[in-house]
Amino acid sequence: MTGSQGSAPRVRLVDVVKRFSDVTALEAVTLDVADGEFVTLLGPSGCGKTTLLRIVAGFERPSEGRVLLGGDDVTAAPPHRRPVNMVFQRPALFPHLDVAANVAFGPRIDGLSKAEIDRVVGEALALVQLDGFQHRRSHELSGGQMQRVALARAIVNRPQVLLLDEPLSALDLKIRLEMESELRRLHREIGGTFIYVTHDQREALALSDRIVVFNHGRIEQIGSPNDVYRRPASPFVARFVGDANVIPVEVSEGGAEPAEVAVGAHRFPAPSVDISGPAWLVLRPEVVRVRPPSGDGSLRGVVQDLSFRGTGHSYRVTVEDVPEPLKAEVSGGEAFAIGATVELTWEPEACRLLPRDPGAD
Amino acid sequence: MEHRQRAPIPTSITIAALLFLFVPLGLVVLFSFNSTGSLTFPFAGFSMRWYRQIAESPEFRSAVTNSAFVGLVVALVTLVLGTLAAYGLTRASTRWRTPIAVLLFLPLTLPGLFLGLSLLVLFARVEVTLSLATVAIAHLVYVTPYYLLIAVAALQRLDPALEEAGADLGGNGWLVFRRVTLPQVWPVLVSASCLAFALSFDEFIITFFVIGPDSTLPLFIFSTLRRTVDPSVNAISSLLLMITLALFAFAFLLTVRGARSRGLSIEPEALGSGSR
Repeated sequence: MTGSQGSAPRVRLVDVVKRFSDVTALEAVTLDVADGEFVTLLGPSGCGKTTLLRIVAGFERPSEGRVLLGGDDVTAAPPHRRPVNMVFQRPALFPHLDVAANVAFGPRIDGLSKAEIDRVVGEALALVQLDGFQHRRSHELSGGQMQRVALARAIVNRPQVLLLDEPLSALDLKIRLEMESELRRLHREIGGTFIYVTHDQREALALSDRIVVFNHGRIEQIGSPNDVYRRPASPFVARFVGDANVIPVEVSEGGAEPAEVAVGAHRFPAPSVDISGPAWLVLRPEVVRVRPPSGDGSLRGVVQDLSFRGTGHSYRVTVEDVPEPLKAEVSGGEAFAIGATVELTWEPEACRLLPRDPGAD
Repeated sequence: MEHRQRAPIPTSITIAALLFLFVPLGLVVLFSFNSTGSLTFPFAGFSMRWYRQIAESPEFRSAVTNSAFVGLVVALVTLVLGTLAAYGLTRASTRWRTPIAVLLFLPLTLPGLFLGLSLLVLFARVEVTLSLATVAIAHLVYVTPYYLLIAVAALQRLDPALEEAGADLGGNGWLVFRRVTLPQVWPVLVSASCLAFALSFDEFIITFFVIGPDSTLPLFIFSTLRRTVDPSVNAISSLLLMITLALFAFAFLLTVRGARSRGLSIEPEALGSGSR
């Protein structure tokens, strides 16, 4: 709460390493979060994202590295001395207290007067649209309402950083979507810094200013949702964020403009890259077009499976020399039958090439 | 195609076993109201004379007072020390946790004779005069593991996120314990403390070794039995039974009530673990 310097990032993690007895949960993670930013830590379970959040909250001590909040080193500070608040996966409301007393837990510790507590609790509940619920007990609330109370209980303390640990994962889809827009609104209204942990890439894309993709305790990519989706930095990110075809290809030498890419005997142009030799071609299913064979030398395949998606069809097309069937999301138009021979095309700019280590994978 | 599994034990055996367990209890209670001095059938008629007789006996009164005093001290000390130990066992992150837990639970496995004898040797060695105080100390050793079984279970079942939320919202360790942990578990802790009282109240073997000139209720019953055999013993035993049952009922209600008012479904299963 003190010592925040205008220039220092709200949260700065420097080479944070966390080892549990025999496993390394985090390997030298360095990350800055700017004031007012909504940052999502995204990754599969066990990738270290929750551990990192708990290190920021103070529930875990990093094995190495430093944690700075507003320029102050808090690496050794216990949770109750950190100006951050957390919303847990389960609401974790205090069952012996009613809604108002739950929200008032922090303000009471801060020694606010009774009148002031009532005021800030009312404001916080209004922010999560639960004004008038003051005297409900937690077991009289729905799952979504409980999580709102948990949010109010955290934001009432005006934390420098609000930490959210998969707060929506226990909720039904419909409530989850509602709560997502609530969270966006809340972030706009209170203008705070949010760090959000999720394994749900859709949530991450919908909510964040910036996404930090984790895998095996390491940061795979940091970028805006648009960046991460359109310019994945690794095959892992491509596959984890959104659906993707990741195809092993060869980029021909010579730095041609545009580059030429070979899949088996088939060659096609791609955006120029400074890699040559083995590479990964990343293609989002929605950029792949499916058409009847025309004989102009486009990639050919056989429809292996299709399903109706309301706005169109989604195909799996087996292509010679490609290890996995290619996925294509096509809107409108006639459906091709299973077993039909089709041609697959895409704009050269729509694909992305990533270096591939021929030894691995 | 579901076939109902036949119970491996016929119902008749179950009933026989239950009768075997409970008929003697019923008889003891019944003959405590017998109007004659007979301990067996026929039941001559209803009378309170044996209750009156023991109520007038000064030895009985002092035995009850002694037992209640020791029981209360034991219950209160376990409530405080046992809760601290259980909290440490469930929350501390030290590699000494398992060895300490083993030591704390060890008295469960020790025969009462052994405990009594070794405590007697200890008291003699350090030259402590045997008294109700030594009885209380001995009972603490005996009762603590039972208390811990229940307290540790209750603390383990508590969602760790609750205490983390308390700390996250600015509470230091003591505040979180007082305002988050205790409100969730106190009914269980108080019922466990009632159990500690009940265990101490009718403890015989260990008491026999470490008691001084005083007497406790179980020792009084034993000595009465050696002198006379009349229904006053039944009356004393029935009173003991009632006190124990009342304590258990109280503990049970406390746990169920506590859980219900929180909208939780804590089963009072923990209470059964110490019954003998």
